[in-house]
Amino acid sequence: MGWIKTKWTSQEADQWTKEDYITFVLSPLVYVLLVLGVAFSLLLLWYGWVILGAGVVLLVIMLRIIDPKLKAISEDYEAKQKKYLEDLEKIARWEE
Amino acid sequence: MVVFKFLDWFWLVVYIITMVFCGILFYRLGKRSMADFFLAGRGLPWWLPASSVYATHTATDTPIWVSGVIYKYGLRGIWYTFFPAWCAISAFASTRIFRRSLAYTQAEWQTLRFSGLGAELLRGWIAGWQFFLNMFVLGWVGIAMGKVCHYLFKWPDWIGLVLFSSLCAIYVLAAGYWGVIMADFQQGVIAFSVIALVSIWGIVVAGGPQTIMTKLSSLGQSWRLNPFAFTGFASGDFPLAWFLTMLVIAIVGGFGMGTSIDWYPEAQRIQSARTVRDSSYSIWGGTALIVIRNSIWAVAILAFFSLYPHIQSTAEYEMAWYKFGFEFLPVGMLGFFFAAIVAIHISTIASHLNLGASYATRDLYQHYLRPKASDKELIWVGRISTLILLVGSFFYGLMMKEITSWLIFALWIMLAGIWLPSILQVVWWRFNSWGYLSSWIANLGLSWLICWILPEFGVIRSLPDYQLFWIMMVLGSLIYLPLTFLTKPENMDHLVKYYVMSRPLGWWKPVKEEAVRRGLLSLDAQRIEGGN
Repeated sequence: MGWIKTKWTSQEADQWTKEDYITFVLSPLVYVLLVLGVAFSLLLLWYGWVILGAGVVLLVIMLRIIDPKLKAISEDYEAKQKKYLEDLEKIARWEE
Repeated sequence: MVVFKFLDWFWLVVYIITMVFCGILFYRLGKRSMADFFLAGRGLPWWLPASSVYATHTATDTPIWVSGVIYKYGLRGIWYTFFPAWCAISAFASTRIFRRSLAYTQAEWQTLRFSGLGAELLRGWIAGWQFFLNMFVLGWVGIAMGKVCHYLFKWPDWIGLVLFSSLCAIYVLAAGYWGVIMADFQQGVIAFSVIALVSIWGIVVAGGPQTIMTKLSSLGQSWRLNPFAFTGFASGDFPLAWFLTMLVIAIVGGFGMGTSIDWYPEAQRIQSARTVRDSSYSIWGGTALIVIRNSIWAVAILAFFSLYPHIQSTAEYEMAWYKFGFEFLPVGMLGFFFAAIVAIHISTIASHLNLGASYATRDLYQHYLRPKASDKELIWVGRISTLILLVGSFFYGLMMKEITSWLIFALWIMLAGIWLPSILQVVWWRFNSWGYLSSWIANLGLSWLICWILPEFGVIRSLPDYQLFWIMMVLGSLIYLPLTFLTKPENMDHLVKYYVMSRPLGWWKPVKEEAVRRGLLSLDAQRIEGGN
């Protein structure tokens, strides 16, 4: 998946990019496949196992696409979080 | 009536002691600060809030609700239970934005996104509404437990309602969200295991998958195995238009905040996760378990239908899954099953007790009454609020009669008019507090008028719920969109601060350009995004 970015700077990860949009499409599709796959598999219908398998494969692909970006966002954001929390408390106490 | 043997009571007592002890064990952590009492210190790995998402949304009324729609509609009824799929997109969109805001509650987020009097009115309104909504949820979940206990032991409904909610309140009062989350983890594991066990047991009792399908076929009910057995585009009891509406609500709704009533407990779990990544996975993973659980239940209810195909009473077939557990499990397992039901029940009760208390404490007491209150004082206010919610839920619970009609009303109608505004507030910079506030007020009036009052007086005919959704959405937009354009945009300083912190998705170009102009975002960032 060479066209999927796996190394992110914090600035790049802050943007909404094609990796996010692909995830928006894959994620609900995985849920639909899991719902149908589990139900049909419990009824021991062969296509249930196929649908369930497709759901798991798509889930793995989705995680490979979005996980590097989420890691980069998290690392960058956690560094700023303490300052943001202090600001939040000031707002709650009407000091800002 | 079910008769418990010694082993049944043993399972039940051991479980209740373990659960309450487990919650109290975290008493010291819960009382450290308000962030601990309501968010477990914002330091949880993703699988803990994920198990809480799952456990909270597996309540005693859930198998009643799922049994009702699957027995009535067959496997296509699974789509009635697909509303939690809003988390599919939310986990990677609104969850990310909300986690970055660090707001304790959705009400607090309103004052970070909007500014001035409108924002404060919104915060007060949402906090007050959430306090009472949580009391309402506690009531309807509690009375479902009352029904289960009546079914089992012939107790009056109020005993099951009061007894188990009160037991649960012990550890919520002691340890706050720490108690909730730790108990939810064990309750989630127990609940999922028992749901799978009893459902598979039910399928076996019905003769196995092949026998179930053969019986359905001989009854002329094979369509029940087809999840896409539509009755026409807009006709019959399961039209394609309903399905498409559900998909739009469930999936597109993930871009917003508050498009589902489940957003509010999820918001608490999002903020309790230790990183943005953990919050995304907690919401996605917990919901994946929910949709899988629904499928397991659905097949068990199909099995039940193959055994009892002619039940007419809604109240009777809504108890289908419980009937499998209580009438077909071997001796000694009844208590284990009931202990699991208690787990299912109190995980939901605990979450809503703590969630409702967080709005009362953070958004009402601290923000409007005592801004300088110490953490110790705020934790005590949290405990008193928890008690008020508990007692209030008893009264609510005793007023409710039928589970399904309440849930359909809540899922579709209560939020129909604010579904789109809840997305607009996240994705569109120009949408302001007055627009959002007016959508709430308009929705309250319109929902009662169109769903109840006008049909009651014969002014309009009763419409299907999916048509009501679109009508409510259009009518509401005729009020809040003009109002948005007739009032000023939010203060640009406030919007820039929010944008830099939360980096929202959608139409934010003027705010972003202002942030770049002020040197708060690098020009590189703008180049990368292509001036979105």
